Amino acid sequence: MEDSKHQDVEIEEAQVESSCSEAQLLPKDETVLELLDSINNYLLLMDSLSSKLRDGWFELAGARQSMGSSRVSSALFDLKYHHAATLMEVDHGDADSNLKQPHFTLHKWLSTDNQEFSPEGGKFEEDELLQRKSSSPHSTEEHQEKRSENGPEVLSSPSSPYTPNSNIKKERAKSLSMFGTLVSPKLRDAQLSFETVLETLQEVANVRSSMLAAYEQVLKEIEISKI
Amino acid sequence: MANRAQIPTNNSALIAMIADEDTITGFLLAGVGNVDIRRKTNYLIVDSKTTVKQIEDSFKEFTAREDIAIVLVSQYVANMIRFLVDSYNKPIPAILEIPSKDHPYDPAHDSVLSRVKYLFSSESVASDRR
Repeated sequence: MEDSKHQDVEIEEAQVESSCSEAQLLPKDETVLELLDSINNYLLLMDSLSSKLRDGWFELAGARQSMGSSRVSSALFDLKYHHAATLMEVDHGDADSNLKQPHFTLHKWLSTDNQEFSPEGGKFEEDELLQRKSSSPHSTEEHQEKRSENGPEVLSSPSSPYTPNSNIKKERAKSLSMFGTLVSPKLRDAQLSFETVLETLQEVANVRSSMLAAYEQVLKEIEISKI
Repeated sequence: MANRAQIPTNNSALIAMIADEDTITGFLLAGVGNVDIRRKTNYLIVDSKTTVKQIEDSFKEFTAREDIAIVLVSQYVANMIRFLVDSYNKPIPAILEIPSKDHPYDPAHDSVLSRVKYLFSSESVASDRR
């Protein structure tokens, strides 16, 4: 009788020990699962990206066929000084956190006329200063007046002539004008396809960053378990 | 998405590209192209005449610039400078390997996936717990 009670107590203690060790293992399982989930999402997004790129290339080939290959070529790329209309905002995340996980946000069709923003490093401001030095004093004053009148509110104010839709149409048209005034509808379709590619690339960049963060966390836990 | 006002911020940065002509053409149509006052572009068109040295120099230049958030590299181009791509470990700019018209995406060559795959192939997490 006492032996069986003793055995029952031993079994109970073993059960408590195993549940404690399982509880210790759970955080590691979570990290590994997070890593595997992000790998799965990354692969799915890359598959989607491949499909959207194929659509874009197909439409570009169609535009080349209707407009002629000489009218859609790299020889026509605009090599004059101009800013990108589509940018990627980077949020570097919490500086206190050990896991640096940057977050990317796509900004499409920003106005290239009123450059109120500057990327990190102030390279755009430096370019503008150089441009002002090379231009005449009269045109510099006009440019400065324009900048003071048209602040960042231009993009969101409904009463200003530059409403978001008209600004987007204007920037799209500017981009297409590289290949001439009259372009094939297929070229416009290619433009839209590559815009959706950029949206997918934003997601890919974010999933990649979370995958790398999960990977670093798993490595850290492996190192801790070795001690 | 098209109706939302685009308000630029100070953390906005460029997207650089090292790819074939068609891919670059498409992204330039989407408004990604940038030319600075020194006529330097944020892209490199890779064709049959482009040397590996030119690709390496562009990759090093784009990854060193503070005004670039993402560098898109066609995977077949990344394979030409694989050592450089695999040894790159900064979070920004992020290097994204993309497929090209003639070379579909291969997960086995992706530098990020290779790094993670190594973790599972050499020693599994389960074996470390024993």
